[in-house]
Amino acid sequence: MALVSGKRTVSGSMGESPANAFAAAGNRLMTKVLLIEDDSETAEEITAELSDRGFEVEWSANGIEGLDKARSLRPDAMIVDRLLPGMDGLTVIEALRKEQVRTPVLVLSALGAVDDRVRGLRMGGDDYLTKPFALVELIARVEALLRRPVESRETTLRVGPLELDLIERTAKRGDRVIDLLPREFRLLEYMMQRSDQLLTRAMLLEEVWNYKFIPATNLVDVHMGRLRHKVDGPGETPMIHNVRGSGFILRAAP
Amino acid sequence: MRQPQIIRSTTFHWALAVSGVFAVFVIVLFGFIYWQTDDYLIARSDRMIARQLNYITGLPSERRLIAIDEHLAQDSRGVQYAGLFGPDGRKMAGNLERFPPELTMNDFVQSITVVRMLAAGPQSHAIRAIARRLSDGNALVIGREVDETREISHVVGQALALGLLPALCLCLLAGAWLSMRAQKRVEEVNQRVQRIIAGDLRERLPHRNVDEPFSNLAVIVNGMLDEMEAMIHALAGVGNDIAHDLRTPLTRARLTLERGRTNATSLEQLQTVVDKAVANVDQSLAIITALLRLAEIENSRRSAAFGSVPLHEMLGEVGDIYEPIAENKKIDLRVDVRHRLSVRADRDLLFEAVANLVDNAIKFTPEGGKVEIELLRGDRETIVRVADTGSGISEQEREAVLRRFYRSDKIRNTPGVGLGLSLVAAIVKLHGFRLAIHSGAGGRLEIICPDPQPA
Repeated sequence: MALVSGKRTVSGSMGESPANAFAAAGNRLMTKVLLIEDDSETAEEITAELSDRGFEVEWSANGIEGLDKARSLRPDAMIVDRLLPGMDGLTVIEALRKEQVRTPVLVLSALGAVDDRVRGLRMGGDDYLTKPFALVELIARVEALLRRPVESRETTLRVGPLELDLIERTAKRGDRVIDLLPREFRLLEYMMQRSDQLLTRAMLLEEVWNYKFIPATNLVDVHMGRLRHKVDGPGETPMIHNVRGSGFILRAAP
Repeated sequence: MRQPQIIRSTTFHWALAVSGVFAVFVIVLFGFIYWQTDDYLIARSDRMIARQLNYITGLPSERRLIAIDEHLAQDSRGVQYAGLFGPDGRKMAGNLERFPPELTMNDFVQSITVVRMLAAGPQSHAIRAIARRLSDGNALVIGREVDETREISHVVGQALALGLLPALCLCLLAGAWLSMRAQKRVEEVNQRVQRIIAGDLRERLPHRNVDEPFSNLAVIVNGMLDEMEAMIHALAGVGNDIAHDLRTPLTRARLTLERGRTNATSLEQLQTVVDKAVANVDQSLAIITALLRLAEIENSRRSAAFGSVPLHEMLGEVGDIYEPIAENKKIDLRVDVRHRLSVRADRDLLFEAVANLVDNAIKFTPEGGKVEIELLRGDRETIVRVADTGSGISEQEREAVLRRFYRSDKIRNTPGVGLGLSLVAAIVKLHGFRLAIHSGAGGRLEIICPDPQPA
């Protein structure tokens, strides 16, 4: 992961753009994230973390200003709190979606019930994160939104020596055939579509196991351990990496 | 204030309405009886005069005069009329001075008015009369006064009218009494309810041990109050449990941070301290999340998305997910599904319940043990059984395991927040299923799904 060193733009206007200049000089446009969150302390932490990871962050403390910024700044991704002064977060998203703005949105909320989550996603949110959350989780989800796999007609997924045939339901690493159970196949498919991305346990549970609750047992670790055992044979370069306390990454290069 | 209240009360209004209907009914009845009596009496007297006419007609001419005199002589009340007139209209016998002009000679009984000369002067009488031209050219008239039948009818009517008044009074009195009684009971209930609202949860509504709507209602409400009181006490207990379970990790986090701040001398030491504190904070959050989830399930009575859930497939899936975990612990996890059975349920919730049972079974079964998921068919019910070779749940613990945060002393050191079975119980209750916990060696829990009653 190429990390651009921290540059904070907590609430700076978009007119002057030293950040843009810097990014352009670095031959890479900085990814712009709009954060709409009314709690300044939370916002500050999120902004600092995102900046450290090379994002350019714009912050709005209320819904109306946030909606204006979303229209004028055209951010690459948005993080929107549900309960906001002025205008509710979901209303902001709804308004944007009506204007055909397809910017990916991560909804933050203290409302964790399954019904609330479903509502948040139905109103146009792309992902939903319940407060309190780990910063690692937030970053992983923003990255996932920014690098959503493109709908492709490709029937074979490839990451390094790893090959997954979606029609035949077979997996190969180089010439070695990997024998996978159906759920292991789904897990590997999900990871290969998002190679080089940090996938947290919660994301895997939601997407692969379709769990709406977190079981007490370390389910993901056990299943991942088995998959790793099959994918990374003895003497082979490990491809599935455990990021301590956060989640897993599938990488071609070590 | 009391009087108008009674008059305004519904019971009283009903009493008034009933009295009104009753009065109308009595008046109609009176009319009917009057009309029937009148009719009957007149018909009877008509038959009598027709018979008399026939009798006299049947006699030889010379006997007729005597028969008429005899007929009139027998009438002590002076209600009979008779007359025999010659072809020229001359009176031959009887108490009629002349042939009544209104009377037609057609053998039919008719209503006419005749004038009778009495000592007090001429008196007109309404009578029923019949006339016939006899074979010898004479005209015979037989009549009978009907004022008498009218009188009898009047007496009957009067009796009914006299009965009506007291009946109406009785109706009104009964209405007022019933309404006052109801008012009193409502007042009594109201006072008790006010005390309950004020916070006295032990107060109950008064009821008598008789099968009467008011008492039955009071019994029902008391049952509801019992349930609520128990729930509120349980809630208070849960509040204490939550406080205790949340305080423990938070206290640890606080101590760790406090000591780390004073004692840590390097960045690594500080990071270790912070990691420990974060783990403790996460533990508190996990408890809150589990509690909120529990509350969500308990309150989701209406939003539950019910559909037909094929249990055989679902259990297989649970087995697939937990198989590696069981294997890691060297536990033999078996799924024994002999039937293809479906129940009406919210699939996600039921999955969560079964997953929780299996999770628990694996957690509390020592290495080398066995966990078995079975799908059975009972007497008009479908049973999901999760059995293990762990320590089991003792008779004394059966109630307690369903309580939030209960953790058996035997498993104090196993990680978890102790909400799993409460969650299962809540889900099972939401579906109208039953959770059976069997005691004895090895754990054996069953989710019993009764077949839906045919509507």
